[in-house]
Order: sequence, then structure tokens, then C-alpha cells
Amino acid sequence: MIVQELHKIQRECGYLPAERLKKLSEQIRQPLHRLHEVASYFPHFHLQPPAFAEVKVCCDMACHLSGGDRVRKHLEGVAEQIGGQKVNVKRTSCLGRCDGPPAVSINDHVYWNMSDEELETIVRSAAAQQPLVEQTIGTLAPHWQIDPYNGQGHYEAIRRWADAWNADANPDRDIKRMQLGDAILKTLKEGNLRGMGGAGRPTHEKWTNARKAREDVSYVVCNGDESEPGTFKDRDLMAFAPHLLLEGILVAGLVSGAKQGYIFIRHEYQEQIAAMQIEIDLARSRGLCGENILGTGISFPVEVFVSPGGYICGEESALLEAMEDRRAEPREKPPLLELDGLFGKPTIVNNVETLCWVPAFLAKGGGWYRDQGTHGATGLRFVSISGHVAKPGVYEVPFGQTVRELIFDLAGGMSGGRKLKAIATSGPSGGFLPAVLDLTQVSPRFADRLKKRGIVSADAVRLDILDLTLDWDLFQRDCLLGAGFVVYGDDADMLVEALNCVEFYRNESCGKCVPCRVGTQKMVEMIQDLLDGKRHDDLATLHDLAKVMSNASICSLGKIAADPLVSALRYFPQDLTKHAKGL
Amino acid sequence: MPSFESDDYQELIGDQLVTLGKKKRDMLQEGPIELTIDGSKVKFPRVKTIYDPDGRAIPEGWTTIYDAVQQHYVVERNEKNPIPILCHREHMTPVAVCRVCMVNAKTQRGSKLTPACRRRIEPGMEVQTSRTNPDAILPTVKTIVELLLSDYHPPRGENLAFGESGENELETIARDLGIVQSKNRFPRGTPNRPRDDSSLLISVDHNACILCDRCIRGCNDIRKNFVLGRMGKGYNARIAFDLDEPMGGSSCVTCGECMVSCPTGALSGRAVVGDSFPPEVLTSARAVDPEELASHPMFQGISQPFLRWNRKAVVRRTFKKGEVICREGEYGSSAFIMEEGRFEVRIKSPLKSVAKQQSGIFSLFSRFAVGFGEKPGDVPAEGGDKFIPVDAPVALAHGRPVAIMEPKDILFGEMTCMNHYPRSATITAMEDCTVLEILRNVLYMLQRNEVSKKTLDAVYRERTLDNYLRVAPLFSVLTQDTKEFAKFVAEIRPCVKLIRVHPGQVIFRQGDQADHFYLVRSGFVKVSQNRQGGDRVMNYLGPGSYFGEIGLLSRLAATVGTIGSGLRTATCSALDHVDLVRLPGDKFLELLGLHPSLQSRLIEVAKERLRRDEEQWSKIRNESLGNFLSQGLENAGNMLVLDLERCTRCDECTKACADSHNGVTRLIREGLRFDRFLIATSCRSCLDPVCLVGCPTAAIQRTESGDINIKDSCIGCGKCAENCPYGNINMVAVPSGEKAPDPYNADRMLAVVEYKATTCDKCNGVETPSCVFACPHEAASRVDGKELLEWVRQLNAAGKTK
Repeated sequence: MIVQELHKIQRECGYLPAERLKKLSEQIRQPLHRLHEVASYFPHFHLQPPAFAEVKVCCDMACHLSGGDRVRKHLEGVAEQIGGQKVNVKRTSCLGRCDGPPAVSINDHVYWNMSDEELETIVRSAAAQQPLVEQTIGTLAPHWQIDPYNGQGHYEAIRRWADAWNADANPDRDIKRMQLGDAILKTLKEGNLRGMGGAGRPTHEKWTNARKAREDVSYVVCNGDESEPGTFKDRDLMAFAPHLLLEGILVAGLVSGAKQGYIFIRHEYQEQIAAMQIEIDLARSRGLCGENILGTGISFPVEVFVSPGGYICGEESALLEAMEDRRAEPREKPPLLELDGLFGKPTIVNNVETLCWVPAFLAKGGGWYRDQGTHGATGLRFVSISGHVAKPGVYEVPFGQTVRELIFDLAGGMSGGRKLKAIATSGPSGGFLPAVLDLTQVSPRFADRLKKRGIVSADAVRLDILDLTLDWDLFQRDCLLGAGFVVYGDDADMLVEALNCVEFYRNESCGKCVPCRVGTQKMVEMIQDLLDGKRHDDLATLHDLAKVMSNASICSLGKIAADPLVSALRYFPQDLTKHAKGL
Repeated sequence: MPSFESDDYQELIGDQLVTLGKKKRDMLQEGPIELTIDGSKVKFPRVKTIYDPDGRAIPEGWTTIYDAVQQHYVVERNEKNPIPILCHREHMTPVAVCRVCMVNAKTQRGSKLTPACRRRIEPGMEVQTSRTNPDAILPTVKTIVELLLSDYHPPRGENLAFGESGENELETIARDLGIVQSKNRFPRGTPNRPRDDSSLLISVDHNACILCDRCIRGCNDIRKNFVLGRMGKGYNARIAFDLDEPMGGSSCVTCGECMVSCPTGALSGRAVVGDSFPPEVLTSARAVDPEELASHPMFQGISQPFLRWNRKAVVRRTFKKGEVICREGEYGSSAFIMEEGRFEVRIKSPLKSVAKQQSGIFSLFSRFAVGFGEKPGDVPAEGGDKFIPVDAPVALAHGRPVAIMEPKDILFGEMTCMNHYPRSATITAMEDCTVLEILRNVLYMLQRNEVSKKTLDAVYRERTLDNYLRVAPLFSVLTQDTKEFAKFVAEIRPCVKLIRVHPGQVIFRQGDQADHFYLVRSGFVKVSQNRQGGDRVMNYLGPGSYFGEIGLLSRLAATVGTIGSGLRTATCSALDHVDLVRLPGDKFLELLGLHPSLQSRLIEVAKERLRRDEEQWSKIRNESLGNFLSQGLENAGNMLVLDLERCTRCDECTKACADSHNGVTRLIREGLRFDRFLIATSCRSCLDPVCLVGCPTAAIQRTESGDINIKDSCIGCGKCAENCPYGNINMVAVPSGEKAPDPYNADRMLAVVEYKATTCDKCNGVETPSCVFACPHEAASRVDGKELLEWVRQLNAAGKTK
């Protein structure tokens, strides 16, 4: 209610005037501070009238590597030329266009793959209050194995469910639901569909828990708040295959008996929001979604919830907080969201890709999916590649693919004749891995697994990172495997890149718990000191801080915020010493 | 958005009625959980009932690791709790943001650091505090405190009063952990955050704020003032008032809870509360030192900082024989604790009232004193004495409204102080007397503080309850027989429970199983019903009334088929701070069995109430006529309507009214217009009579015929006149019979007038009120809203309207 009302006022006035907030407070009988808490928290809301051109330049990871800072400075110069405070340029966090860096948002229109001159033209027309062009990611759907319908919304899984439901005369709807659901859960389990947001929790487990909670009301929420630097696969999935996502949610709703489904999408994905909206309307008109789905008497409406912004909304409990009209601050866990989620009700929260895989599972079987892996791994996944590669983009790949295959076969090799220096396997979250990994620097368990799988020989002391296979079972907890694969060439200074990543976490920290709120800020200041040649004798404090942030933060943001720094210190000591000498 | 109402479940925790969800109710029924704390096997219930330091029970009911450790070490072994806490206090809902209470918890899912304040205990959990596993815990906790200190700049300014414990909790924790600020390993934050000195009482220094959220919970959860929140995000987040207004310009009421809650002095008292008493009080009285109060029996257990901060909110006053302590009808914001002497409580003799002796049909009705408007004054004069409830632990007999109080009665003036009602009686010193006059903050604290609350409740049980039951008209059939009444009081005394309900809180909901019977001790209860067509307020019940009997009576054999089905027929909720006397349903029915006269009386009343409900609903029709609704006409039960096509403005109606009411008219031939009709300014007998709310002596009542009637016990405070949205209640000056010296001529005595509220009494139930009777042009009539609408419709149809 609050978030939607604020969106409404902002659409009307361009910002949130105090008088309107006061009026709203009376209308919806909520105290002023409740409105202000929310309005001042989300970056999408303006409490002051915005400039004619609100320019936000992304400076995270790929955008940082390709000169986001330079573009920002350039546009700041432009703003100064235009004058009159018509243009406001600032840094923003990842806009999800890492394949066309640096990405720039101008009055909430996102642009990428643009030259400085092109950007300058758009900024000038925005400052002159002229309408802006819309840049889209295109309409040509790739041929993906995830789509059993080849780009068409057939919704066969829903139709099969409805046929079976209508054919079964059993009056006990719960028993019917359980029976039909059992078969689906079995398929998901057989193919071992896991959370593609990066956590890798088995999907059937979440669904089973939610189904067991047996409350009168439960929800399915799709997490489409993809905001991790380097990650933009859900962007393409929602744009090119909205029917898969919708079908996935509908199946989750039918299996769990949920009352309502939501698709939570970041506001920078306007194209995707529109695509999902159209798909939902279409499906509703065909009786596949909403009231009385295909004559079964089952109702399951699905709605798009536009995120008011912030990386933290991608943290599933923070996402639910935002949907409940509060500051998107993560909840303490346990309890699990499947048991105590949205409005305290059982809630399945799944990533876009996870839900998108469901139709393929049900069309081709869990066994089919399981057989798709390579190098001893199972299944398929989507990966977004960015950074110093020739062809950054979204790719459908088997689990177990090697880094070599990813960089050289798919992404066209290194860009600009660079040599590989480092990779990040989960955006900034997992930290960096060096081109050559010293096996004494990783956990013995990880080294053992590498040897057992034959990725390195039994007596090896080093791993050529190109040989590393990307597989959850190999990585386990020793390394994070997400969907954002970022490649760093030999001209990157990993301490500077670490600072860039920790700054991202500092900027995106919700501020709820001390280790993350204060810790990320102190860490940024201390890395700046290192770059200035100071504090090189006190790395122990940084390591202590990193450990405390990881031990004591409420959510993953704080827990992993120090990883880029820790990995940089561990694997790239030369990048540290060079600053110590003041070079 | 989903509704939680279906899950609501009322549970009495301590004396506080709280609302629990269904889940929590299920948890309440579970057995204890076994776990280990530092190697010792312990057992605790999964759900707890907790009290804050001021004795108020808190509905948050999960047993957390911190609670278990506190119980294990502090309560059971009298040792120090090894877990430091900063953002947490036991009377608050845990938020686990500061992370200094980390302990190591081992479960099936593995072993990890977890915040003790928030993590619930689980079966088989192994908890290690810093006693048994310092290496896993202390480095983390120390680093966190160091982080906080690196940005912490102690508040500037003199005489700053610190929070609850009177010390800087952050610095204390740092000292306990052996952290020295000068050796802090982290870059020192610059004190560039704002400071807000806009409030005269509390200074806000964001450079000293650690965002522990305690002030926010104090403001919102504890005091329900809803002013404080957090703003911004991440490292730049800070607390803010309303839309980030300066504190002094915000809707903050300066209750001081945020300051008392603050562990670091970021919110600290700038000065002491001193301006709240009027100057004439402060010149004649002495503020009592907090140190002295700390040893006063009534103030045991109240925190020192609270007393220090409120140091001028308690004054000791002495009164010579015959001096007035407070006067009926005046507004006030204080209550009085009696220390020495005897006090006379009186309201001015009702005999001088402007009301005529009741006669005719009305007095017949009043014999039964039944129906919605049942209030003390309805009790018939013959036989028993009538009593008037006042804001003191005594009741006043109607014939001779005087009573005496002594220090053992402890306190008077609570209702005025808490709910801003006018004083209900005049209190005079009968000999030289001493009182402590206290302001609202302090009374509020006394009511929350465990020690003083016990004392107050004990007094209530022993003395006030007798008086109270005497006042309650329901029991008047018993008061006629002194012996039977004494027996009745003895039976009821041990079974009643005193409960307190917050403004707006639901006591029970329509459709709930009926389980208790309630009497209103102070404050007002709103009775509403929901039927197709929406919610409707059926009545407001003030002190002395009762409710909840209908659902219970249906269990009696005598009522089968006539009174409901054992479910609540209406939703009752508190309009303001409400104190209730609650009697369990079984006991209630048992008592009725012992006192058949009471039983038959109650059944009569219940039937009448149900009949009235039906009648009200039958009057209600959903009409969307804007003008009709905006004038509140659908709500009118009986109004004087003049057909302007016939009315010649001769004013016979007004004259007739004056003639029948001691020369003072109760109607004004002017008012709102609806179509061709004038709705005269005269009581409309609203179906939703807001005028009833707040009367300090329950003098204004609704009779069983739905009319509003003002009894002789009116003290002229004007509350009802202020409440009436249509200006239909007038304050009329009448001679009091007393004389006072003329201020300009000391030799002369002047007659003293007093005020009484008057409103149309429909000429006490005669068939045709004099206004209608007197109209020579048949322009005047008395109708309800529905009828008026029907008239206009018919005229419309006939094309005869404007």
C-alpha cells in the first residue's frame, strides 16, 4: 500500500512533496514516520524535486573496468556547462547492463553501449526537457533449451494439471492437490532443480515445506530483483521468455495451494516489467491465470510488484519486507520464509531462472535436465559474462563447464589482447580467483575435491583457473558460484577492484546491523588508506573486521562484503605491495 | 492485503489484555523445551510472559536464548548475565541489530554465532556464552563495540540526563570488555552528523547515536506515539521525527520515552520538566526530590533517571482545613496521592438542578433501569440509595453527594489525569492535609510500575470495589439489603480481575465465544456491530456500565431460544484508557444462581438490549444521498423538523419549550436545512450518541427509548456540549444558592451561579412534546432520519419539493 501509493505520488508530481505525504498519512492512517522511513530508504523515491536530468552512472565491476568513473566525470563536466542545476550526475549501483558498459540511467531510462558523445546528447536533451529515446534489448529470442515451447506460451503443464484435476471426481481438493503436486515435486527432485539465485537450495524442498505449512493463506514470490553486479541473465529470461516464468509461478502456486503470486522486478527493468505484465494479461484472458484457472475452481492471481530499488531487495526476506511496505531490511533467520514469509504466511521465494526451468522439467522430465551437465556435473544454467571478454552476454550453459570453455568458446576470449588475471564467479560476492591458483591457499577440502575429480593431478600444487569446472558440488561452501561471471585482464589492479566491490556493498548496505553498516564503511576507508600507502602494517585489523562481518551480520550482504578484499589480499599480494611502495 | 483478524486471540498476560495470533496461541499450549546453557541442562517454556521494568506485560512471547540465560544465571543463581546487551531491553521486542549479544548456538544445522536477544530457543539447542566459549565470542563482540566506538562522539552539553540506567551503556560495555577508545583500531568517524536542539526538553545528537532502535520502539511500541522512525539507508541512516522534522517542530509530545530508552545519550534531557504545573502551584508547593521519591513506598521500582527527569512533575502540597484541592468541572492534568489528613469529596447538591422532577412514563421505565443507556442515575430512588461514580475511590450517594477519603485510599483524580476529562467532584481538606500532586507521566509510570500497581490494585480490591459495585446500577437490587450486598461483595471480590485496555484495543469481537463478564471501571468502551451494510457504533459505555452479559446469559436454561447463541453479539473496544473489572463467565452465572433477583433483572435488560439493536438496525438504510448523510441525518433517532412551507416563524414552539423547562428553551428555531425542512437545533437522539463520552459523573445518559437525558448529577463541565456535533446541548447558568463576596465591593455578597448542561428531553416521554403540540400550523413534527427521507421522497415524487 505505502510503496504503491508513493509510486503513484511520484508519477504525478515527479517527487514526494511533504504535503502529499501528510495527506497520504491521513488517508491511509499511517504515521508520518512510517511513510518517511520508506520514502527515504529507497533510491527510486525523491523527497526533493529532481533535476531536469537525473543522471546515474554505474561504476560497478564491468562498468568500473570500462571507465564508469571517467564517463561520470565527463557528464559532470557537461552538467557544469549546462549549468542552472538542470543536471544532477551521481554514481549508482549496477543497472544490469554489464554487457554494454558503462551503463547510465537518465531520468530512469537506462542506456548502455553508448559513446560519451551519444550520452552527452541524451543528457542535453533531458536537460532541455525533451522526450528521451528508449533503448531496448531487442526482441529476437535465442534458441534456448529452457524453452520447450520455442517462444510460445503453451502452458502445457497448467493444462495437464487442469485436465487431471477436472477428470478426478474426488471432492477433497486438498487430497487432489497433494496427489498432483507429488508428481511435480518428484520431477523437480529427480532433476535436482536448485535455487538459481546463487544459494542453490533444492527447489522441491522449499515447495514441500510451504505445502506442509498448510495455512489458509500462502504466497509465491518470484525474486526478479536481479541487482548483483555482473548478473543480468534474469533480465533476458524475463524479456524473451516471460511465458516460462509465469508458468513456473503458476505451477508453484498450484502445488503449494498459494493464494497469490507476485513477481518482484527491479524498477530499472522497465522492458521486463512490461513483458511480464503483457504475459500475465494474456494468460488471464486465456483462463490460465487468475480466477478459476481452466475450470478447476482454483484461483491464483499473479501480480507484478515493481521494486522501489536497492540491491538489498534481492535478499529474499528484505524483498518481503519491501512488499510489506517497510524498509527492505533483511530478517533474522530462522524462521524459514516457507513457514513464515510474506505477512507471516508461508511463502515460496524463487529466483526467476529457477521458476523458468519448471516448464522444461515438466515437459522433458527431471532425468533429461540431470543429463545435461558436463565434466561430472548435472543440469543446465544461465550465466551472464562480463568484464574483459570479447563477447559479454547471457549464455545457457551446462553445469560443469570449464572457465576456459566459458571465456574462450562462448565469450570470444579476452578483449583487447589482455591476459587473464582474475575471475569472479559470483559477481562481487565470492571475491576473486587468480589465473593460477596456489592450492595451498585454498581449503584442503576444496583441493581434495579438485584432485578427486581429476581437474588437477594428485601431486599438483597449482591450478590453471581455466581448467576449473563451474559446479556447485565442486565449489560447495569453499567458493561461491553465482550467475555473474566477471573476467579481469592483466591491467586490472585487484586492490582497486576490491575497493570497488566493497564500495558497492557499503552503498547498498541497508544499515540495520552494526557489522555491515559500520564495517563496510570502515573497510572502504581502510582500503583507501592502503591505496594511499598507509596502514600496510595493520592488515590484521582488516582480517579481523572481515571475519566479524562474516560472523555477525544478519544477511549475506554483510557476510560476504569483505570477500573481494580478502581474496585480493590473498591472491594478489603484488597489487598490495605496489601501493606500499607508493608507486 | 490479507486480514489478520481471523487469527486474533485475546490472552491476558499479567493484567494486560493482549492480542495473539493463532500461531502463538498454539505455542502457548506446548510443553517446555529442553536445551543446554553452558553445559547445564535446562527447561524453559517456548512462550513466556514478560514484564518491562515498569511492570507492564509485553505481548511478545517467544522465549529467546537471552531470556533463558537470564533466567538460568540471574534469576535462579543470582549471578551476572554473561551476555551483554545494547540494542535489547527485556521490555522491548528484540531486533538484534547491534550484535553484541552474540552467543554460540549449536543445533542440528551446525554451530554458529547467533544473537541471543532474538533467537528463539529450540529443543536440543546447545548454547555457549562467553563463559564457556570466550574464544568464539569475545573477539567478535569486542570488534563490534570498537566499530561503534569509532564513530561515537559523546553528547555535548551540560546537565544531560542519561537513559534508563543513568549511565552510558556503550561506554560501560566497552569498559567491561576492556576496550580503550584511544587504542581503537578503526578510523575515527568525523562528527559531521547533525544535532537537533529544537526541543526544549530533549536534545538529539546524531553523532552519539548508534542506531540501536530503542528510542523508536519506545516511541512506537511502548508509548504508541508514532513519531520516531529511521531514515535514509546504510551508513547514512539515522533516526528522524515524522518527515525528518526538527524534534521541537514535530508531532512529538515529549513523553521522554526515547530519552529514557537511549543507551548512549544521543537523546538526552536538556532540562528538567518544570513548566507543566501552573505557576500558582509551583509557588505554593515544593517539588519533591527524586532521591526522596526513591524511598517513597509508592515509587519503589521506578527508575532513577525517570524520576530525575520528571523531578518537577511531583510536588508536595499542603492544604489548610476547608481549602479546595480540586474543583468539579475544571480540567486538569494531574492526580493526587494522599499523604495526610482527611478529604471531603462532594459534588454540588443535585437538588438545584434545572431538571424537573421526572414523572409519567419515564419514571415507569426507570424502575427497571434497562436498555442501552443504563447508567447509575437510572436507579430508582425508592428503596435503595442512588450513587454517582466519581474519579476517586469512593462513591457518592445521590441524596447526599459527599464522602470522605483518607490516605489509605491512596489516589484520586486518575481519570482526569489520564483521559483529560473534567474533574468529577470537588475535593476539600477536612483538616490540614498533605498530598503529592503528580503529572500524567508519573501517574502513567505508577500504573505501569509493578510495585505501585500492586498497591493501587490492592486498594481497589479492598475498598474501591465495594463502592464501585454500589455504583453499578446492575447491582442496585442487591444494595437494598445490606446483608445480601455484603455477602455478594465477599463472593465477587476474590474472583474479579482488574484489567487495563489501551485506547483502540479490542476487548472482544462479535462472533467470539463468550467467556467473561465486564464492568467498566474507568474510561469508555465502544460497542459496535457488524452486519450486512457495514459496521455501526451501537453505544458508548462509561464508568459504572457493564457488558458481555448477553453471550453468557444464553447459557441459562431460562433463556434458551430467546437470547443469542453463546457468541458475542457485538464488538467491544476501548475508546481511551479503559480499566475493566472482569468476572469469569462461570462465576458470573453461579452468582446469578445465588441471587435470582439479579438474574431476572439481567435477563430483562439483555432482551431489551437485543430488541434495541434490532430496532436500530431496522432504522438504518444505506442511502447515498450526499446531503442527507453529510448532515448526519441517517444517524438521527428523533429530531424536531419544521416544514418551512407551513412554518410562519411564529416561534410558538420555542416559547412552549421554555414554558415547560423552567423558562429556558432547549431548542433554537434555526439550523441545518434538508430540502424544505428545517432541522431545529434540538437534540436528535443520535443512534451513535457521542455526547455520552467523557462525562465525569455519568450524568448524561441514553434512556431505553433512545432519548438523551441529563441527570441531576451534572456538574456543568461542558464536556457533552463540546462533544455534540450539532450544538444541541447548552450550558445554562442557574443560581447555586451560595453567595460569595463581590470582588469589587467587599461589603456586598453576590449570588453564585453554576452551570448545568441541558438538552431536549422530549418532554420526558409524553406522547407529543410541547414544541410539536404548540405549533399552530402543523409545521413541527418529531421524526427519525429514515422517515424524513421518506417524506422528501414522497414529496419529490409528487413534485412538491424545492
